[in-house]
Amino acid sequence: MKTFLKKMYDWVDERVELKGLVDYMGKKYVPVHRHSVWYYFGGVSLFLFIIQVVTGILLLLYYKSGEELAFESIHFIMSKVQFGWLIRSIHSWTANLFILSAMIHMFSVYFEKSYRKPREITWMTGMLMFFLLLGFGFSGYLLPWNELAFFATKVGTDIAGVVPVVGKPLMIFLRGGDDVTGATLSRFFGFHVAVLPGIFTVFLGIHLLLVQRQGMSEPLHWKEDPEQKTMPFFPNFLLRDISLWLLVLNLLAILAVFFPWELGKKADAFAPAPAGIKPEWYFLYMFQTLKFIPGKLWILDGEVLGIGLFGAAGVLWTLVPFWDLKSARGEQNRLANYLGLFAVIYIIILTIIGWLA
Amino acid sequence: MNQTPETPADQSKRDFLQIVLGGASAAFLAAVLYPIFEYLKPPKQAEVEVSSVKAGKLSEIEKDSGKIIKFGSKPVILIRTANDELRAFSATCTHLDCTVQYRKDYGTIWCACHNGKYDLNGRNISGPPPRPLEEYRVVLQGDEILISKKV
Amino acid sequence: MKHFSLSLIFTFLLILHLQARGQDQCFECHKNAEDNPSKLFDHDIHHQKGITCAGCHGGNSQTDDMEQAMNKKAGFIGRPQGDDISRVCASCHGSQEKMKYFGSSLPTNQWKNLQTSIHAKPALKGKEQIVQCTTCHNAHGIVSVKNPSSPVYPLNVVKTCARCHADVAFMRSYNPSLPVDQLEKYRTSVHGMRNGKGDPKTAQCASCHGSHNIRAVKDVKSNVYFSNLPGTCAKCHSNTAYMKEYKIPTDQYEKYAKSVHGIAVLQKHDPGAPACNNCHGNHGAMPPGIESISKVCGTCHALNAELFASSPHKKAFEERKLPECETCHSNHEIVAATDKLLGTAPEAVCSRCHSAVQNPNGYLAAKVMRGLIDTMENREEYAKELVDEADQKGMDISDAKFKLRDIRQARLQSRTMVHAFNEAKFEEVVDNGLKTADFVISESQSSIHEYFFRRIGLAVSTIIITILALALYAFVRRLERKKNEVNK
Repeated sequence: MKTFLKKMYDWVDERVELKGLVDYMGKKYVPVHRHSVWYYFGGVSLFLFIIQVVTGILLLLYYKSGEELAFESIHFIMSKVQFGWLIRSIHSWTANLFILSAMIHMFSVYFEKSYRKPREITWMTGMLMFFLLLGFGFSGYLLPWNELAFFATKVGTDIAGVVPVVGKPLMIFLRGGDDVTGATLSRFFGFHVAVLPGIFTVFLGIHLLLVQRQGMSEPLHWKEDPEQKTMPFFPNFLLRDISLWLLVLNLLAILAVFFPWELGKKADAFAPAPAGIKPEWYFLYMFQTLKFIPGKLWILDGEVLGIGLFGAAGVLWTLVPFWDLKSARGEQNRLANYLGLFAVIYIIILTIIGWLA
Repeated sequence: MNQTPETPADQSKRDFLQIVLGGASAAFLAAVLYPIFEYLKPPKQAEVEVSSVKAGKLSEIEKDSGKIIKFGSKPVILIRTANDELRAFSATCTHLDCTVQYRKDYGTIWCACHNGKYDLNGRNISGPPPRPLEEYRVVLQGDEILISKKV
Repeated sequence: MKHFSLSLIFTFLLILHLQARGQDQCFECHKNAEDNPSKLFDHDIHHQKGITCAGCHGGNSQTDDMEQAMNKKAGFIGRPQGDDISRVCASCHGSQEKMKYFGSSLPTNQWKNLQTSIHAKPALKGKEQIVQCTTCHNAHGIVSVKNPSSPVYPLNVVKTCARCHADVAFMRSYNPSLPVDQLEKYRTSVHGMRNGKGDPKTAQCASCHGSHNIRAVKDVKSNVYFSNLPGTCAKCHSNTAYMKEYKIPTDQYEKYAKSVHGIAVLQKHDPGAPACNNCHGNHGAMPPGIESISKVCGTCHALNAELFASSPHKKAFEERKLPECETCHSNHEIVAATDKLLGTAPEAVCSRCHSAVQNPNGYLAAKVMRGLIDTMENREEYAKELVDEADQKGMDISDAKFKLRDIRQARLQSRTMVHAFNEAKFEEVVDNGLKTADFVISESQSSIHEYFFRRIGLAVSTIIITILALALYAFVRRLERKKNEVNK
């Protein structure tokens, strides 16, 4: 058995020179320090992405888009297809854990200042992937065509429509018409399974390539560490990574069995909106903020102002490697830390308020 | 069994760990692949049934006839009257919960259990039913008939 | 205001009249003239009580000077018009004091009651109401209701009401759909026949509809509103003393109130359920004859009647002169039919005629049918339990739930089908139900299995994954330890 595997390896190696790659990976080291634990969230996010791809493809085998079939086909998957309930629940739970894990990954990178030169591109591809993730979440939420999703999408696209100048056309583009209808569903389905994954894969490729190419970022404080302990990426770090992935998989299985993702009631465009329509938790802080901003602020429309602020914050956040020059020089940047801290606290508090409201 | 020993690993421990690793990996693969293969097997009922709320096409229902439609876990009767009007009512007889049907010869909704009759407005007109049938809303979208609860 | 001034006038008149007792000059003159009103008034109870013409017509009855007596300035009103007619009556009949003064213990709410009745609706012409006191009681010659010559005496009241209610042209102008043949029907009823023979005790119009406070049948306050009707009939029919001479039972209401129909009418106010009149008729009230019972019951229970008519029992019952439905279901005390009626147990009605020895065929059929219906009930119960269990476990079984209704439907249909007294037909319906029950049971059982399978599956895979994760971790640790040794 072992010799057969060896032969296989040699056969491939002979042709594509695997040895170089393996040696290269063997040379890659992961710094060991008190914040090392955060390195794992990139890997966990990658693992969750793989799960999403696998379960997503599996769901595609039975899912039928369209106003009259979407809800029924999910119901069919949940009740008639063997393990359909598992696949669907895992896909839904993973979507949420994925965004959570990506958020943790993003904030840890931010606070470690790992975006500083030469990793600007890695950071920006990461940010773009994060926005794509939100797009995945938003478009995927509608696909079961249930009441909550229907109205959440209505509200969500309405908010997009508020943006001056581009808002209205954007809303019509998203909805595939003036209203949320079957056309919106087809569109979102297309985004969710073709457009977004395509773009995402490109960014993910660049992101991973750069991580391998540039190695793990060493935090500022690590430089001052006299020991400068490291750990080989392969196999030590990777195997630890995999152990953690397995535990995450465990968590997913438990969530899927004990808290199966609900399907709710089928969307009915004629029915009145149910009370307490809320977006998914990762949009909640923005939704709640828009609720708090008064309708008219000075000469500005409250909603437009809110959306403008969030847009600006997103751009500022994405471009952090370019304005945080202190970190690039290897100095502490307190302002960036405070901004980051503010963002974390703001998001947590507003999410909790939105949740309780 | 997965305790890491303090002393350098001896031969037997290593072998044991490797066996555990190999066995667990195989079992893991099986645990992941089994549901996936089962999932891929075509289910007993090969396809999704057309929605209960969408009651099919107008061309599929004759004039002066009725059709029972599954609305969640309750039946709804859709009637296309002789004057080409579409009406939908709860198909649960208000007497003892039997499922009613359209009787062309009577021109009424009829319950087989105790000969209860309702007119085409759902009003109980004969026999034991104490109350009229609950009316549902029928909307025509193109050729597609849509039934929903009255708000 | 008009009201008030009118009653002032009448009070004044009354005082005048009292001063002039015994000197009713109006009556004296009119009597000499031999006109009809004075002739009638001669034996009028009001005349006997000493009330003069002026009591109703105003003016001064003390003088024989016509100018003076009928002087409008002195309060003469001549013939009261419209509602004023009734107000004149009510000026005394609405006052307890005045009635007492004349030594009468009559009630004083007639005018008030009349105003709430359907007869108080506006008449075709003018603003007055349809019926005034005089419409039924006449104007002159009023006598006590107990006096056989009174138009409202029990034997006469039917004709009095019929004056209008049997007049097609008249009734058409108010309520064209109201029948006008009540009196005709009434004469065919037990009540009407006795009444016609001179029995004032049997029910006439007013006994059921009320006298002054007559309301429409659809009015919930009407005595004959469907849910008030049994009580109305019971006023006489449950009164043992009153009914004594007629020698019929008086427990019908008591029994009816306990019956499935009585509960539906009296407690649930279900307008679809029968009150007394639905089986006995209303104006033509009479107990249905033996041969017509199944027709009467069949107006609602049509399918049962139809099946029975084609069953072997039809002939058998006819031969033995057994009333069709009543033999098994009784009459006034019809309780909700349960499966217990069927079968060979002592409480089952079949066993009253069919015994294992005398009539083994019917006995066997009853036994088999009861067995089938019991099986179906058990299966339904079991299916329900399983569906509930699967439901509680959060499994999706909407299909099975939907089918659950069909089992119940089959059970109800089988109960109807019993009336065909045909084993094959019965089995067909039961088989349907049993098949559905089997489907529901197997569906929900597999759902419940699935529930446990999920948890066991989870436990197994969790253990596998955890072992793998820990083994991997141990493997890494060992690698690192080895490396450290090498480095050292």
